[in-house]
Parts: sequence; C-alpha cells; structure tokens
Amino acid sequence: MATYLEFIQQNEERDGVRFSWNVWPSSRLEATRMVVPLACLLTPLKERPDLPPVQYEPVLCSRTTCRAILNPLCQVDYRAKLWACNFCFQRNQFPPVYTCISEVNQPAELMPQFSTIEYVIQRGAQYPLIFLYVVDTCLEEDDLQALKESLQMSLSLLPPDALVGLITFGRMVQVHELSCERISKSYVFRGTKDLTAKQIQDMLGLTKPAMPMQQARPGQPQEQPLVSSRFLQPVHKIDMNLTDLLGELQRDPWPVTQGKRPLRSTGVALSIAVGLLEGTFPNTGARIMLFTGGPPTQGPGMVVGDELKVPIRSWHDIEKDNARFMKKATKHYEMLANRTATNGHCIDIYACALDQTGLLEMKCCANLTGGHMVMGDSFNTSLFKQTFQKIFSKDFNGDFRMAFGATLEVKELGVGGTSQWKICGLDPTSTLGIYFEVVSQHNAPVPQGGRGAIQYVTRYQHSSTQRRIRVTTIARNWADAQSQLRHIEAAFDQEAAAVLMARLGVFRAESEEGPDVLRWLDRQLIRLCQKFGQYNKEDPTSFRLSDSFSLYPQFMFHLRRSPFLQVFNNSPDESSYYRHHFARQDLTQSLIMIQPILYSYSFHGPPEPVLLDSSSILADRILLMDTFFQIVIYLGETIVQWRKAGYQDMPEYENFRHLLQAPLDDAQEILQARFPMPRYINTEHGGSQARFLLSKVNPSQTHNNLYAWGQETGAPILTDDVSLQVFVDHLKKLAVSSAC
Amino acid sequence: MAELYVKPGNKERGWNDPPQFSYGLQTLAGGPKRTPLTKRVAAPQDGSPRVPTSQTSPGIPPVGPPPPLSKGSRPPPVGSCPASGVEPINFPVIESETLLEDVLKPLEEALEDCRGHTKKQVCDDISRRLALLREQWAGGKLSVPVRKRMALLVRELSSHQWDAADDIHRSLMVDHVTEVSQWMVGVKRLIAEKRNLSSEEEADEEKSTATVEENQMAPGVQEAP
Repeated sequence: MATYLEFIQQNEERDGVRFSWNVWPSSRLEATRMVVPLACLLTPLKERPDLPPVQYEPVLCSRTTCRAILNPLCQVDYRAKLWACNFCFQRNQFPPVYTCISEVNQPAELMPQFSTIEYVIQRGAQYPLIFLYVVDTCLEEDDLQALKESLQMSLSLLPPDALVGLITFGRMVQVHELSCERISKSYVFRGTKDLTAKQIQDMLGLTKPAMPMQQARPGQPQEQPLVSSRFLQPVHKIDMNLTDLLGELQRDPWPVTQGKRPLRSTGVALSIAVGLLEGTFPNTGARIMLFTGGPPTQGPGMVVGDELKVPIRSWHDIEKDNARFMKKATKHYEMLANRTATNGHCIDIYACALDQTGLLEMKCCANLTGGHMVMGDSFNTSLFKQTFQKIFSKDFNGDFRMAFGATLEVKELGVGGTSQWKICGLDPTSTLGIYFEVVSQHNAPVPQGGRGAIQYVTRYQHSSTQRRIRVTTIARNWADAQSQLRHIEAAFDQEAAAVLMARLGVFRAESEEGPDVLRWLDRQLIRLCQKFGQYNKEDPTSFRLSDSFSLYPQFMFHLRRSPFLQVFNNSPDESSYYRHHFARQDLTQSLIMIQPILYSYSFHGPPEPVLLDSSSILADRILLMDTFFQIVIYLGETIVQWRKAGYQDMPEYENFRHLLQAPLDDAQEILQARFPMPRYINTEHGGSQARFLLSKVNPSQTHNNLYAWGQETGAPILTDDVSLQVFVDHLKKLAVSSAC
Repeated sequence: MAELYVKPGNKERGWNDPPQFSYGLQTLAGGPKRTPLTKRVAAPQDGSPRVPTSQTSPGIPPVGPPPPLSKGSRPPPVGSCPASGVEPINFPVIESETLLEDVLKPLEEALEDCRGHTKKQVCDDISRRLALLREQWAGGKLSVPVRKRMALLVRELSSHQWDAADDIHRSLMVDHVTEVSQWMVGVKRLIAEKRNLSSEEEADEEKSTATVEENQMAPGVQEAP
C-alpha cells in the first residue's frame, strides 16, 4: 500500500512516532486477537532542524486531572477565545496573551504541521552541565596514556561553564580536590568497604548542597557560576590544572603478582561518585563517566576474584548457577543506578579490555539512567577515541546532542490520569517502546469522531542548560475489527511491529529461559499468519501474506538467530552490550540490528540491496554488510583476482578502481554518522574474517543441500542452522493447519 | 580550512578497529547525503532462493579481465563522497617553513597584554606552557601539520577571530593530542583571556553573554512584534 508507507514515513519524520497498527482496533478483545500489541516507538528528541523552538510556555488544560497541552486536535472558538481539550472535553479560556488570535492568525501549536512542537521555559534557574570522570588506573601503560590524552582532549570539547570532577581508582579510590593551587589534594577511600551516601558526604566535608541560596534571576547572564564545589569546578577555571593532574596520573601502584588480576574497586568508586553528586548537585543534569579496563575484583560489586585461573563467568556458568558473585554484584549496581536516576543523573560505562569487564552486572547503571555503554578492546583504539569524541558532537545549532533529566508523560483519550517515566540521559536517537492496552469493551460503539488521540510530553534540560518541553500529539482512526479487518491490515507497520515484538522478546529473555522465548516468538508469528494470511485450510502452498506483512516472517527469522536471543556465541558482557543498544535505538537502526543490510556492488548497475542469503555471495560482486555493530566489506573471488592483477592501477580499467572505491565511500558515510563507532572488517573470499558475513546470511545453501536446488551459484555455508526457506515452509504448514 | 583526512585504525590494539576521521571531517555539517543504505529485499514467497538477474560463471581460474572503461555500456557505480581519503587540503597562504618566532612571539605578546587583567598564577601557568611549546618546537618534536595549524591559529588570534582560533585549537587537540596536550591548554586559556580582555575594552559594543533571551514573544509569531 504505497499511500500507507508514505503516511508512516511522513509521521515518523514529523513526530518521531511509529505505531505497530495505524488503524486501532476498537475493543480489548479484538486487540489481543491481533497478536501484535498496539504499541509505538517514540523518539522524543528527534532532531528537527526545521522546527525552531517557540519562546513561550505551553497552554495547559485547566482540569487538574487532565493538564493536557493545547494542540492541533483541539476545537477552538476564536470569537469567544475558548478552546476545548480533546482529551477531557473541558472548555478552557485562552490566556490574555492570546487575545489577538484568529482563524488567520493561529498560534503555532494549533497548526497541524506543528503536531510536534518544542517550548523553551524562560523561568527558573539554569544550572551548568556536570561531568564526573571516574577513571580506572589499573591499565597497561600505553592504554592509560591513551585514556589520559582522550580525557585531556575532552576538556577542549566541554563547554567552558560545565563543571568537571575526577575520581581515580584501583585498589583505593581517590577523590581529587580541584583547585588552582600548586598543591593537589585528594581524599583516599578503601576500595573494600562500601559507605552510605551520608558517610561519603561527611568524609568529603559536603555538609550542605552546593546550590546557591537564591535562584538566579531569569534571563540574567551567569558571568560567574554561582555553583561549584571543591570537587566539581568549571572547565574555564580548572582546565590547566586538571590537564596537568591528568597528565601526572600513574598506574595503580599496588603490585600485581604473577597469576593475579589487579585489585579494582569499581563498586566503591561508583558509589562514591554517586554519593558525591547526590550531596552537591541533586536534580540537575550530570553524567558520571566510568572508564574501566577490567573487571571489578574487590569490594562490593566485585565480579570475579583476583586469581587469573578462575575465569570470569560465561553463559554456561550462569546457566549452571555457577556465577558466585553475579547476584550480589548486580544488586549493588542496581542500588546505585536507582539512586542515580532518582537524583536525575546518568552513568556512562566505557569498558575497554580484551576480556570481560562486568558489563553484565553493571548494565543497569547505563540502562536505568539513560547513560551510554561503550565496549572496546583498548583505550588506544580509534573505536574508543572516536566514539568518545562523538559524545561531544554538536548539532546544527552548535549545541551538544545530549539532554538530561527528562520526564516523559503519555496522555491518552478517555483514560483517567497519565503515565510518567523518568529518563535521565537522552539524545536525538533515543527511542522508547510504549505499549498500550485497549480498554473499550467488546461491541461498544466506536467513539465519536472515530479517532483516538495520544499526547507525549517530554520535559528536559537541553544541553544549552535551558529547560524545554517537547510536545507531540497524534491521532489515529479506530476501526471495528470484525467488519473492517482489511483496513486495519493495510495500516500494519511491519517494521515497527518487528522491532516492538523484538523488544518484548529481549525483555523476556532477560528473565526467562532462551528456548521459551523462541517458542513464544514462534507462536506469536504462527498466530499472526493464521489471522492475516490468505490460504486454503490444510494447503500450505496456497499461503500468501499481503504486502504489509511480507517482510515480517523474515524479520522474525533473523531475530531468532540474532545475538539478542542467541547468547551462547557471545560472552555475557557482549550480550549485555548488544541488548543495551538494541533497547534504545530508533527504528531504522534497530532493524539493521535484527536483519543486517546487505548491498551488492558490481559492474551490472548501481549498488543494490540483496537478500541476506548465501546466494548473494558471488565471485564478481563486492558486498557491504551493515549489522550496526560491524561494517563488513567482502570482495568476491573474481574481484580479488582482478585486484591482485592490479587492474585498478590501469587507466583503461578506471571503472574497476571506482568499483573498489564505491563500497569504501558508503562505509565511510555510515562510520562517520554512527554512534557507537562500529568495527570495520575489510575481507574477501577465503579470508578468515569472512566468517562475519557467512554467519549472518541465511544459509540457503549448506553442505547438506548444496545440490538440492539445482543451481551451483553462491557460497555454501557450513552450518546446521535451519534456513529461511525451511523456516517459512514450517510456518506455512502450521498456519494452515486446523490443529493449531 | 580544517584538515580532512582518514587514517586507518589501530590494528595492533583492536582487531577491526575502524578508521579514524580527522576533526574537520567529523564536524562537517551534514553535507549532501546520498541515499542511506537501508533497503531490503523480500524473500520470494514461494521459497526458492532468488537467482540474481545476471551472473558470471562462478569465478575460479582462468578468468578474464574486468570490463574495461572504453566499453562504457554502463556507468561505473561511483560513490562520490566529497572527502574520501583526501589528502590534507593545503592552506593557500602559508609559506613552506613555519618559523618558530612567527608563532611564539604573537603568543607571548598576547600574554603580556593579559598581564594586569588576569590573575598572576594563570599568567604564570600560561607562560610555562608557552615555554614548553617553544622547547618542543625548537627541539623538532612537532610535526608539520601541527606547526602549520599553530601559525594559522596565531593569525586568527591576532585578528581577534576568537571562535576561529578556538576551533583550530580544538582540531589540534582532537587530531594531534599526543603532540600538543602538554601545552595546548595554555593556548586555549590565552585565547579565552584575550577574548575577555577585548570585550571588556570594547564596552560600548559589549555583547550580552546571556543564553536566554528576554524577548516576550506573542504566540505564533516568530519574531518580536
């Protein structure tokens, strides 16, 4: 349905919203029969260069239980200067400042093209952004040097008014007092003993919050920041001293004997960081940035002991309940994460090591607070350095892309009260999955006007320190599922549905057994096909899905094989890392993670998308695969031979040079835009790194069935995984069967 | 003005380390984005793997040469990314050898201007770093791109182009941190102090540093009535 695709795309571009169903079933019973829940992906701070914020505050509905914001769906009486709330039908008087409005002089928030609009709040104090670096010193020399340089570099990227602080840790935890004096002071804590927030604040001498006693007057320039503490100072004042301090950081001095891991007190270090910010700057935007080069090995939150011969837990260990420290450590970090979120702060984890670092236990710190999780092999890599630089990248207005302290409110038609969530760290791609429950009774008439409406209100601290409110108000038609199933079917967004179901699946996988999740996913897919497929009973060959569903089984097939649900090929840390990013990316990127993109480059025409299938691997093609976490360029066998022969250097074969360059250019564009930086694999037929491509493609030709299809093109895959064809065949059989 | 280049990643430390983009490339605003690679192909509903529309015989020797350019029946699939692997753009006016004094002298003069208005300790700190810069430069420890960019920075500073000078300092910190980290923060501070000094001096034309505007906007109207 071309028109629905356009509708879906336009809505996403304007409002940052993608619904699984764009025509809503009008009763609860029917909604459950549709298998895929009514849900949406919302990108609250979607970048909108064409949407300048308005410099006034929103107009609210006067009903205290409603408080919806004036929007294009409201009925307006311009003569009487009244508006009717579309959520609770309350009639409201416009404020005096709106006396001049009329049909030809509408305020922006009533115009349909401003279904998404952003307000700037002028009142209230504005506090600077706060960055607290928590740095592991148990690193190898060149790793520590690279990290120090990255941190020094970051001081040039931070805004001059931002506050910055430094905690270093190894066996002990050191909180550095930042001053312009020659002598540097620090407070040293044992890494073995956890302390309460109050104890930390007492020991650091933070007896009262550092916030100013009076509110800064609105609109006045902050020439000198009124807020600071001995441990968190403005960049413009402290940059030289902090640069020196960072430059002088040494590796943790405690010797590490043969066969042992360094003693790393990450749990206490984080605890002190959280307590420090809690005591000085509660309720304003702050990032705790943890840089670690190995697992926590002592104190609360330790993930493994210091004996190297005892390896860190694997998925097998966890399955067999053989992970000694996991539960206790996870609890420790969950406690810290909850406190941090309550304080409106966020925690980032930058973990660079060849072995695991405890991301599994620490993931709640990033996940519950909206912080980043970055995983690399070493701080001395481009992957870390550039990913870290991108945190400080600026948008088209020259502002940081990060936002803080957000609360999201969701308001729906007819339901009393609203739902609210807190997201302490947010950026323009952060995307939430919101799942709705239709509450109307079966056979109740479709509501008057036939449309349902939802309003999303996101209040947050912008990186310029302004407080802002982004309001998105959308409406969709209700339909009676009995008589109008075709309408509902045509309005299905299979891409959004796939991602929303995938998020549910991953959520289940965190608490249920792996095989149970796959069974659940399969069952939902079969039910969906039974409901919406066209077929003759007991005749699998008759089965057809309409266009709006045609890609969905493929998405589910790839989801089942993805690292989000297949964990045994990865370490627990890797799985946590992949799942972290999956849970927050927008639809396009999430889909890439579920079903990687594969483009083919050849002399036969422009680059074209091809099936993620072994039959796409051909000798005279170059493939570019994007899995989100990796960019893979693969040269077919003939291409490799041509390159070896040096044709690209001959002027009469310049087009071959262009062919080799084209995927590199496209890869570069992806690499420049993506956060976090993906790994980059440039490989070829027969290369050891080709396994990245071979493991992702559908193994339609394996060593089991190489000659079964009657053609010998494409590369066979050595695997016993079921192929898409077999999967779909089974699916059809089950869908048309009366037994299910 | 900024350098635009791509270096390979650190293969020794990180397998499959992605290439490193210069500050100039990273901060390029958008630019003409080609169609993003986000399309997919649906698997055929009847289950057989799709046969590609044209296929050469499955490679393996002996194989002939690729289609030469002269045949030209189809346009080559060119990706024209503007900054792919481009050599650093040469600055038009810098002479071949950037002289130490051309850079250090203006910096030291700028520092002198700031004495009296800026705290002694800050001036001493900056002075210490300038001395370090001088020592490293004279000792041949700084690469050509760093020296060239410092000359440019000093030019911008002398012309009171604070933002441009600041941006150059940032690009040097991002692209050449190992070489410059010890002293660059002094130069950064010097730019900031000179900027403050000059805005104090130009009291009549002093711009407000407010981040929030005081204008009362009427609803729906984008500019002040």
